[in-house]
Amino acid sequence: MKALRWGATALLILAALAAIGAHYVAPAGYEHQFRESPGVSPSAQHPLGTDDLGRDRFARLIYGLRVSLILAPLAAALTTLMAALIGGIAGYCGGWVEGCALVIMDLFLSIPWLFLLITVRAMLPLNISPESSVFITFLLLGVLGWAASARIICAGTRDLLKSEFVWLARASGFSGFKLLRLHLLPNLRGTLLAQFWISIPVFIIAEANLGAMGLGVAEPLPSLGSLLRELQNVVTLRPEPWRFMPLLVLIMVVSCFQTLLNKNEVRT
Amino acid sequence: MLRSVGLAVLRLLVIMLLASMIGAVLIRVAPGFSSDEQQLNSSLSAQSIQAIKQARLTNSDLPRYYANYLAALLRGDLGISQSLNQPVRDLLRERIPVTMRSLVLALALAWLIGLALAVAAQLTRSRLLTFLTDGVSSTFISTPAVVLALVFVLLRLPPQLAATLLVFPKIYRYSQNLLQQSYQLPHVLTARAKGAGAWRVLAWHVAPMAAPQMLALVGVSVSIALGVLLPIEVICDVPGIGQLAWQAAQSRDLPLLVNLTLVVTFVTVCATMLSDSARRSFTRSAA
Amino acid sequence: MKRFLLFALALLVGPLAFAQNGGELRFCINSEPKTFNPLLAQDDNSEVIRYLTAGVLLRVNRITQKPQPELATGWKVLDGGKRIRFKLREGLRYSDGTQFSSADVAYTMQQLMDPALHSTTGDAFRSAEGKVTAQAVSPTVVEIAFPAPVANLVNLFDTVAIVSEKSPQKETATLGPFYMAEHKSGSYILLKRNPNYWKKDAAGRPLPYLDSVRLEIEQNREIEALRYRRGEVHLINTVSPAIFEKFTADDPSLVRDAGVSSDTEQLWFNQSPTASLPDYKRAWFTSTNFRRAISQAINREDMARVVFRGHAKPAIGIISPANKFWFNSKLKPHPYDPAAAIKLLQQDGFHQENGVLKDRGGHAVEFSIITNAGNRPRENMAAMIQEDLKKIGIKVSVAPMDFPSLIERISDKLNYEACLLGLVNADLDPNSQMNVWLSSADNHQWNARQKTPATPWEAQIDKLMRAQSSSADNSKRKQYWDEVQQIAWEQEPFIYLVNKDTLVAIAPGVKNAQPSTLRPQTYWNVEELALK
Repeated sequence: MKALRWGATALLILAALAAIGAHYVAPAGYEHQFRESPGVSPSAQHPLGTDDLGRDRFARLIYGLRVSLILAPLAAALTTLMAALIGGIAGYCGGWVEGCALVIMDLFLSIPWLFLLITVRAMLPLNISPESSVFITFLLLGVLGWAASARIICAGTRDLLKSEFVWLARASGFSGFKLLRLHLLPNLRGTLLAQFWISIPVFIIAEANLGAMGLGVAEPLPSLGSLLRELQNVVTLRPEPWRFMPLLVLIMVVSCFQTLLNKNEVRT
Repeated sequence: MLRSVGLAVLRLLVIMLLASMIGAVLIRVAPGFSSDEQQLNSSLSAQSIQAIKQARLTNSDLPRYYANYLAALLRGDLGISQSLNQPVRDLLRERIPVTMRSLVLALALAWLIGLALAVAAQLTRSRLLTFLTDGVSSTFISTPAVVLALVFVLLRLPPQLAATLLVFPKIYRYSQNLLQQSYQLPHVLTARAKGAGAWRVLAWHVAPMAAPQMLALVGVSVSIALGVLLPIEVICDVPGIGQLAWQAAQSRDLPLLVNLTLVVTFVTVCATMLSDSARRSFTRSAA
Repeated sequence: MKRFLLFALALLVGPLAFAQNGGELRFCINSEPKTFNPLLAQDDNSEVIRYLTAGVLLRVNRITQKPQPELATGWKVLDGGKRIRFKLREGLRYSDGTQFSSADVAYTMQQLMDPALHSTTGDAFRSAEGKVTAQAVSPTVVEIAFPAPVANLVNLFDTVAIVSEKSPQKETATLGPFYMAEHKSGSYILLKRNPNYWKKDAAGRPLPYLDSVRLEIEQNREIEALRYRRGEVHLINTVSPAIFEKFTADDPSLVRDAGVSSDTEQLWFNQSPTASLPDYKRAWFTSTNFRRAISQAINREDMARVVFRGHAKPAIGIISPANKFWFNSKLKPHPYDPAAAIKLLQQDGFHQENGVLKDRGGHAVEFSIITNAGNRPRENMAAMIQEDLKKIGIKVSVAPMDFPSLIERISDKLNYEACLLGLVNADLDPNSQMNVWLSSADNHQWNARQKTPATPWEAQIDKLMRAQSSSADNSKRKQYWDEVQQIAWEQEPFIYLVNKDTLVAIAPGVKNAQPSTLRPQTYWNVEELALK
């Protein structure tokens, strides 16, 4: 298993390096339209071919990776933190605090957020840079995505408080923050890590879907999600397997995160 | 008992009321509420365009709309859909069963697969199995719901079932981590050190510790599954509430959207309340 | 011998009879129709139902573009377009058996002209203040009078569904080839053959040949194509260029390019004085030189070749060459010439600094283009414009958004800079574009609802549009309309980009199909369609 973890780390570092050094790795640039060769198959000049507008697929993938690989984990961390805080506090305090928190969580899971996103888009200036737009999108995803796991955390906290070892800890003088840090959070780590891991691909994909509201990346900047959107062309897709590269890369990144998170798990 | 049921119903009603109210405000505030596609129809005269705009504004006075809506709701009248010119009640009656069937089936299968894999990974402690299940779950969680659903269409399978493949990795992931966590607990370690059998440890020591959070997960998984299923309905034209909601959203159909919010809230809250009460009675009996 | 002859005849006619009768034609509509009342139909899907079920007095032949008799055997335009008299067919019955007479036509007109209905056809008939009256002169003759001459009067009746005054089924009783039999919300609509349909083919056999038409509700164009490929549906009215290419590679008989369509794709700048724009930007957008320069800097050839894979032509102006009669053939395509564009800009004091175009006041030239999200070709066109204009130092941001938000911006709030959108020209007559070209109109997109024309050329267009509208003489109207096209070509309030080809898919098993560039492209002659 150790080799696997090393492999995962190496792959993630490689992906990060490629993304950071995108300019050198893919000198074709993500926006240049090779109009004489739109939609061509892979070649030495274009390792993954070109898209409908003749833009180099490889360059778009590397730049897209940069956008998604930085922002998605950040948003996932934000949402996990919020879930831990709100769920943890609600479960710890109990009583009316918990009651209110649970109502808010249920509301968060039921409200049509789509319209909030449309409204947010309307409030942003039209000439907002693609970078800011995608940053705001991931921020929104992070802020709106915590409710489901907060519910699980809240349940976990509440039940842990009743468990014998917490009573023991309390009897030995642990209380408040120390109790939370030493006994409660480590026991909720599983849920939190699961939330973090799940959120990364979910946010990457959601960002692409928000394109329909005008949020997310705007032309010509690519993101992993917007590249995945191309896979929706089921009829024209079959003969061109290289179009699946964004999906493979995403699976690779997610698997690597999973392997690394499992490693942390075993250590505790 | 009666009191707690009464409280639960009250809580459900309050949340539904709040959700529909917040939903209505969001829809009303969103751009495009008072615009209609027909405004771009160059064959219409200025008077007609003005009249269409006026008609769009009938529901713009939100407090009044909402008061009227609630009054009608008490009489069992859900209103008329603006975009489809049909009673909302008829539309929901046709669409809800379709979505519910898919939801129940997808969830049942997802839980079956997710939990079975998590338990198997824990019990066998087989690296190969863990590696494989991790790989499979990574693959499905990274695949956009829409793409997977379209692949199901390509394979002539019901696209709703794609929801199973998208939900099970989440259940697997949460349950695997919960189980792993429970196996690290001092009393479980003690039991294992004393030589208790694997199944015995799972049933007597691990399951009771993991169960409360698992039951919370059951409730939440309903909203996770809805979140996956509704876009699938939209993209693959399954005539459920997802497709209806998308059409309503595109034409800012307030009466239809408010009612759909109520339906989604009802399902979500009922699921979490049921799982909460199951969890409570479980903790009580365990104690 | 007699037996042999009969046998030979059976051999000959048998397959023909088999080929010409029965079967269910299936195709997709992209969403639920908003109404099944043919008089209320405005959205595309309701219009499909109306086309397939309603009886009309006359029909515009989608190939010859000329009106031909339907419920009316003949008509006469009187008083220079202020009156029209129809002679009706006798002995016709609605799908429910109710007798058809001139009273139904009068009743239909009365319903259609109800101001609360807001029907597009009704609005077109309302040529001036005053009432439209319809009078049943005899059971087979009806006369309709208008307050002022109506341009393109005859063709307008193509969309007037004649509903029954007396039928207990009201507007669901039809005179067309089919009637609505079943509707499953969100799933499908089943139309069945109208047993009382009056039309017969040349051999005297009753039409339509088909037993039923099943409309599947399917908004996903990819799944629609997949279902077509599997033989589950028979027709697709508009195929995307990508799918067209794929199908052509698989089997060229699957798809047809019916030629350039009458639809347009255009870019325009917000010139409204009430728009929340900085003054210097308004000055750019209202400058003819600026608009012409942008137009010249856009490579339309590339757009047609790359985005539409060759299935589009660079647009010339308002009217596509597909509209044979009304197109001004003197106009030539705008050339792609970035150098000339820069020269034009220099005339207005623009200059380049380190590759960035700046105006007289030193403001860098940059603007945003809004368009509807989810329309891949349009998003691609926007990306190409972005790249083209970058070459002359202009920074363009593309902001796709959902349709209601877009409509609110361009029609009500006017908080946008430029917009990329298409216009569907279902009606070939210029009169249908009155509400686009009159400066006082709502759909005069670049600067709508003007109290007085903002520019001399808009005043001139107003004059010409009014002149063509009040004349019944088509050659005169053509002169006026040619001049409007000329002005629009010079001023470019709309920068026309491409005219797309009509790409259709008709399964090889569908007989008698004659795809047209006009809607409904594949099934406009549905009563004659048959399945092998």
